Amino acid sequence: MANFNIDAKEDRTYQAIVIGSGISGSWAAKELCEHGVKTLVLERGKDVKHIKDYPTTNMLPYEFEHRGQITEDVRKENPVVSRCYAFREDAQHFFVKDQEHPYVQEKPFDWIRGYQVGGKSLLWARQVQRWSDFDFEGPARDGFAVDWPIRYKDLASWYSHVEKFAGVSGNKDGLPNLPDGEFLPGYPLNVVEKHFQAQMKKHYGDSRHMILARCAHINGNFDYYAQQGRAKCQSRNLCQRGCPFGGYFSANSSTLPWAEKTGNMTLRPDSVVHSIIYDEEKGKATGVRVVDRLSKEMEEFYADVIFVNAAALNTNLILMNSTSSRFPDGLGNDSGVLGKYVAFHNYRAGVSADHEGHLEYTTQGGRPTSGYFPRFRNVLSQETDFLRGYAAGFSASRGPYADQSGIGMELKENILNPDKWGPWRIGSHMMGETIPKESNYVALDPNLKDEWGIPQLKVNVDYDDNDEKMIKDYLEQMTEMFDKAGFTNIRTRDDHRAPGLDIHEMGGVRMGKDPKTSMLNADNQLHAVPNVYVTDGASMTSTATQNPSLTYMAFAARAAHHAMKNR
Amino acid sequence: MKRRDALRSLALLTGGLVLVPSCDFSEEEILSAYDRLKVSSSMRELLGQITDTIIPSGNLKGASDLDIQDFILVMVNDCMDEDAQKSFMKGFNSFDAYSKDKKGKKFSDLERMEKEEVVQTGLHEESEDKNDLRGFLGTTKRFTIQGFLLSEYMQTEVKSYSLIPGDYQGEVLIESLKKEKLNG
Repeated sequence: MANFNIDAKEDRTYQAIVIGSGISGSWAAKELCEHGVKTLVLERGKDVKHIKDYPTTNMLPYEFEHRGQITEDVRKENPVVSRCYAFREDAQHFFVKDQEHPYVQEKPFDWIRGYQVGGKSLLWARQVQRWSDFDFEGPARDGFAVDWPIRYKDLASWYSHVEKFAGVSGNKDGLPNLPDGEFLPGYPLNVVEKHFQAQMKKHYGDSRHMILARCAHINGNFDYYAQQGRAKCQSRNLCQRGCPFGGYFSANSSTLPWAEKTGNMTLRPDSVVHSIIYDEEKGKATGVRVVDRLSKEMEEFYADVIFVNAAALNTNLILMNSTSSRFPDGLGNDSGVLGKYVAFHNYRAGVSADHEGHLEYTTQGGRPTSGYFPRFRNVLSQETDFLRGYAAGFSASRGPYADQSGIGMELKENILNPDKWGPWRIGSHMMGETIPKESNYVALDPNLKDEWGIPQLKVNVDYDDNDEKMIKDYLEQMTEMFDKAGFTNIRTRDDHRAPGLDIHEMGGVRMGKDPKTSMLNADNQLHAVPNVYVTDGASMTSTATQNPSLTYMAFAARAAHHAMKNR
Repeated sequence: MKRRDALRSLALLTGGLVLVPSCDFSEEEILSAYDRLKVSSSMRELLGQITDTIIPSGNLKGASDLDIQDFILVMVNDCMDEDAQKSFMKGFNSFDAYSKDKKGKKFSDLERMEKEEVVQTGLHEESEDKNDLRGFLGTTKRFTIQGFLLSEYMQTEVKSYSLIPGDYQGEVLIESLKKEKLNG
């Protein structure tokens, strides 16, 4: 009775609405709020406050009832999310359980989601490599998808902008296909990784490189990050629990508190976005419809500009569910490409080996990163029978183990004093570029709805022949490189995982020059509804081989400034 | 789930001795905390003796001082699938007969050396009809080692566990490492 005013339209009106509080949405929010824009940030999941809501962050191994393992009940109820490497007893509360938000797998697709304030930025692997023009020019050169409407020069300063604030550790490697950035000091490679680097130089000259992967961890410039309340990464490698030091970049530790400090952000958790409201008379989007996660009641909020950062597939879902007589097939979908040309990263294959040298050495301590191969296939020109190529992770590790063959006092002494040293363990995994195709798509199921009355998403995404050839080449090339480096016991694997488990799904709302064949322009605006920006994975025209989050952050910051300039 | 959690908490407080009547007309009662297994309190005791044989007390506490048998039962009950649980219980139920077969006595009546021999022999059985027994002992040994090393006692009193491992050093000479031998 007393709250008539709350229902007044002006109380529901902001200057900007950002849908999604994860890695890209929080960047849009931070930039907008910092520049005085009253911004409503909508998050479908629960609130997660930095430190306060990291319940497991300082737990010792013995404090987990199953010492980290997921129980059989949870595994059986959640076959999809249980396949994710980070879904363990310490971080399971940050993942969406299979039944919480069902979707339709027309083909197997492991959709890994984090519905909470901060989204998957709490859970990501924190690897941040820049794209180069060898990536942006890929579709045009190789004749797939459509040409990117931008080039590296359009994004370079925004990469710098987000790297500096987020904190990125790395080395200046001087590689044209993996541009250097604003780096804090890098972490050391170990003696065997350096040996491998030297072997690569010897056998491949300047054509292949194994470098330190750049990662979003604070390893320098500490006074600057203290302004955000963040401190040096302690190499705990417990990032998925949320970091009490703010040692790695997450929305929760960095961009969201920064935005909140301005007094311009209204963060609204438990707000499931149903659709975007399009006003035919005004010819623009005017707001969003939100279903309360718990009460299921629908409310509307209004703003001059709307950022859609719901994570790649949910951004597709929201646009497809935003229908009007002007846009019967989804908001801004004059081209008919909405939901199509979805792609991902191919993580199926890996190679491991032993190294019988450097046996007098081991490592100590921890580091939040490892080695990295930038793509070396088809960079300067087409050289294989498949398009594009792959990046790869690389690491060498060693530690003592105990002889556990005995029993009684002998066993006890052995496990208390592990003193056996095997060979160095070498590991690598591929990150392959996949080609966006019309036949890899998401769509709304015509019948099934979720508990908020929103249609369920149908996912139809698969590997193709190009991916199979690329896997074969990765396995061959990595085997050859390992062999040349003198590694032994080389084992290859293809785990045949479904797409999605890479958690790098992209596209469906792609950027392009031509409104007839793309959804977004060079500034991430919907061609047909320019006051709607999409700057998350949905906007990606192609996937390249780099871990994509850094590029989403740069797009979000760049688009936020574009929106403010063109107000 | 709530009821089970409550029983579990109570069970851990009282060392697992929360009893409910069993449904299979046996004289003994089964422990309700492990609702997917049929484990009586005497079986729990037997499992404790096996863990004590695997990691005995000495200068430092051993497995049975730390009630590692309860950790094993939690892991088998919660983290193994139904087939693996069945096989574990089959092996478990056949263990005393195996002991009698090998040494002429049930396990609890054996001397320590004989107990070690029975467990070691069982772990190395190769015949197919001993699969469940071998699997049971293998699982028990694995969880005993894990439960012991990752126990509160080990992580707070013996080898203080640090969540912060220190800066990375990638080229450490093994012979330069300090060796402080722990006397078990």
